[in-house]
Amino acid sequence: MAREFDHLFKLLIIGDSGVGKSCLLLRFADNTFSGSYITTIGVDFKIRTLEVNGEKVKLQIWDTAGQERFRTITSTYYRGTHGVIVVYDVTNGESFANVKRWLHEIEQNCDVVNKVLVGNKNDCPSRKVVVTEDAQRFASQMNIPLFETSAKENINVEEMFLTITKMVLKSKLEMKERQNVTSNDTVNLKKGNHKIKKKCC
Amino acid sequence: MITSKMPSLRIDQNDLKCKNGCDYFGNPQWQGYCSKCHREQMQRQRKAEKASSFTSTLPRSDQRKSERGLKLSSHASFSKFEEKRLRQSETLKKTNLLKFNVFKKNITDDHEISTERRQPEFKIPTAVFEGMKADFRVRFPSFPPQIDRDARGFVHTFILDVIKWAAIMNVDELSERVQKQYQRFMKHMETSQHYASVDSDARELLIDFVEKHAMTYLHELPSIVFSPSGTDDERQDRAMSERIQQLSWVGEKHLECKLDRNNAECRRLLYKAISELLGMDAARWSGAKLARVRRCARHVLRLAAPAPASADDLLPALILAVLKANPPRLISNINYVTRFCNAQRLMTGEGGYYFTNLCCAVSFIQNMTAESLSMDKKEFDCYMAMPASIGGSAWAAALSLCGATREAEEQSALAAKLLEQTKEIQREAENMANNAATFEEQIAKKVQDVLAKTPLEIKPRRELPRLRREGVGSAPPPTTEPGPARTSEPPALLNEPSVVIDETEKLNILGFEVVEERSPSKSPQLDRLSDLKQSSSTELLTPSPMVLTPFDCRSLDEVLTPDEFPDNIPGLSDVNYDIDLSDFSADTSLAEDPPAPDRRRTFDPFAPQTSKDSYKLLESFDEFSIVDNARESDPYEVVHRPDPFGSVLDNDEGRASILDDSGSPTAACLLPSPIQPQNSAKPT
Repeated sequence: MAREFDHLFKLLIIGDSGVGKSCLLLRFADNTFSGSYITTIGVDFKIRTLEVNGEKVKLQIWDTAGQERFRTITSTYYRGTHGVIVVYDVTNGESFANVKRWLHEIEQNCDVVNKVLVGNKNDCPSRKVVVTEDAQRFASQMNIPLFETSAKENINVEEMFLTITKMVLKSKLEMKERQNVTSNDTVNLKKGNHKIKKKCC
Repeated sequence: MITSKMPSLRIDQNDLKCKNGCDYFGNPQWQGYCSKCHREQMQRQRKAEKASSFTSTLPRSDQRKSERGLKLSSHASFSKFEEKRLRQSETLKKTNLLKFNVFKKNITDDHEISTERRQPEFKIPTAVFEGMKADFRVRFPSFPPQIDRDARGFVHTFILDVIKWAAIMNVDELSERVQKQYQRFMKHMETSQHYASVDSDARELLIDFVEKHAMTYLHELPSIVFSPSGTDDERQDRAMSERIQQLSWVGEKHLECKLDRNNAECRRLLYKAISELLGMDAARWSGAKLARVRRCARHVLRLAAPAPASADDLLPALILAVLKANPPRLISNINYVTRFCNAQRLMTGEGGYYFTNLCCAVSFIQNMTAESLSMDKKEFDCYMAMPASIGGSAWAAALSLCGATREAEEQSALAAKLLEQTKEIQREAENMANNAATFEEQIAKKVQDVLAKTPLEIKPRRELPRLRREGVGSAPPPTTEPGPARTSEPPALLNEPSVVIDETEKLNILGFEVVEERSPSKSPQLDRLSDLKQSSSTELLTPSPMVLTPFDCRSLDEVLTPDEFPDNIPGLSDVNYDIDLSDFSADTSLAEDPPAPDRRRTFDPFAPQTSKDSYKLLESFDEFSIVDNARESDPYEVVHRPDPFGSVLDNDEGRASILDDSGSPTAACLLPSPIQPQNSAKPT
């Protein structure tokens, strides 16, 4: 039984309108160098299979509408999401300021989710507004890895997606282990009882 | 022991007494009354009901509470009916709705009892499973029948389970239960041996298959899974549709969506998207509904073409499409999908993504404010205050018009396609007809050819023996015959010739065609067969005027003679046998037939020589005649044999059997056919 993939993860890309979410997604999914992908008409929904630590991971990436007016209604997107990519525009200070609100949104809608902060459009130093130090400080404060990418120049995009995938995979494996541990505990207890009984007899 | 049990029994007995206080026992089926009291109670209730139906709707709900116990089994459907009636009445206001909801809750409380009665009645029509069977064969032709049976069994239990619990559980619990069922089936597939060979993709297809058939059927049942009783889905549907009507003034500008309404292509795509949205209600299981949503979203996405559309473009356009479409029972549909669709599919996959977008669009419409449309609040309020019918009527009209034209276009396109198809079919039919015609002709030709060849062979058969003898006679006589014939009986020759000549003359005089026809016919080869026919006819004719009567007598005599012959003259008898055999074989076998005509050809030159042959014949016959005359005194025999045919025939068999041989074939030639077998039969 040859399975197409070992894990299936749903990733969500959020951020203000015009920060380049779609471009990031397009860059990642259309990079046919490794893995398979399915192109849809839009770039709103993409699938790509990666190989992480020898395990095939199928990524399903959902783009979301970033307009302010839709912010309140996007909660439905979060259902069943494994990881969220929060994107801001390094040339747009407002988009970075809104990151806090986005993170708050995530907290409200899902419990434990792996997050990545991404400063996109990092290809023109002269237009850069959000300084890397500020962003890094904020990221470490929130305990979120930060990436400065450029979808246009294909800088850091692959790494960013790989990192979030690894994070999601790691947390999933940890979850499994925890479940195994708990089940092991019960088994051990039973075994112990068994032994005691034997001794008694 | 006994005493300790008794008190409890007594207490029960008191409880069992009729509620009315009469000394009879009551029955829970009769609401705790005894049979008599229950009947009275029923009658009273009916009267009250009748009265109430004329007064107003308000007291009715109270009455129905008590009445509910009586009409348990039909309650769900009845309530549904009531509900519709209520909705139709224009006097219905919010206060009534509230009451209505209260009433509904009561129903759900009572369902525990009602299901007990409804359950056994319920049977899933066999058509469901037959449809499943057929579908399975189409979808999974390679799967073993065991899986098919397994899936059907699962669907059966699934449907019954849902129906059973639908009455008791509220919707959320039921949806959880349904999800558990899906998981159960997944687990079953993992553990069962039958599914060992099925890979994960096929498993997903299988679970879709199961869901499809179970939910398609359940969807048809009233208020079980689709806008179930106990929810206000239907009310929300109405509210939503009213709201969309009110928001009909919202256009692409308000939503900041890139849409060029003047562009025909754009419009076409939008109408396609809208028609997909409208079609969602018609789809019965969530998979099909999701497919509709997906197609709709794709059309919407294409609106932003050629630039790849992102979610930033998708959502506003989708909202616009929903606003313009105003799909029927939108909330019910969404709830149906979210509750009873396989959760795994809904959370992942393209369909799930677009469905999520649709949910967002709907919630946006529900919560739309002036702010969300980035417009002045006063203006917004102004728009909202307008009666629903006025606002945006232009759009609606244009849409409906364009929708109609689009439909017309589609229909015409379809019609054109069909026309082409029919033309093609006609062409093919014509071709077929032509082919058939040519084939028929060919066959007819072939048959004619074959017929032209075959009948020729069949008919000559009868005559062949004669011809052959003639032919055979032509070839051998010079070699063999003269020797023995002459040696044995030369003296007879002298007497006979005169007689023969006379007879041939007689024939000529009489004007019989026999001689005349044969001479010309024999020369051209092609006409042989026709000649033969003629000859046969003439032969038949010839005997009658000429020598028929005497000939017959002679033949009869001959029949007798062969037996006698051997006794008297052994040599002759031997000869007879040979002749008979040859006759027989000639009649039956075809193998001997073909050579006959050839001999005939050879015979032609002999035709004029008949006189010579006849002389030989005469020689041979002289013996006969002598013998015959001596015994039977038949002059006719002698007369016959000298005939031109006879002469030839004599020559044929002359070699071995000598004169006697020649005698019998002549008889064969001239005599009507029935006599020949007699000859043959006797000697053999």
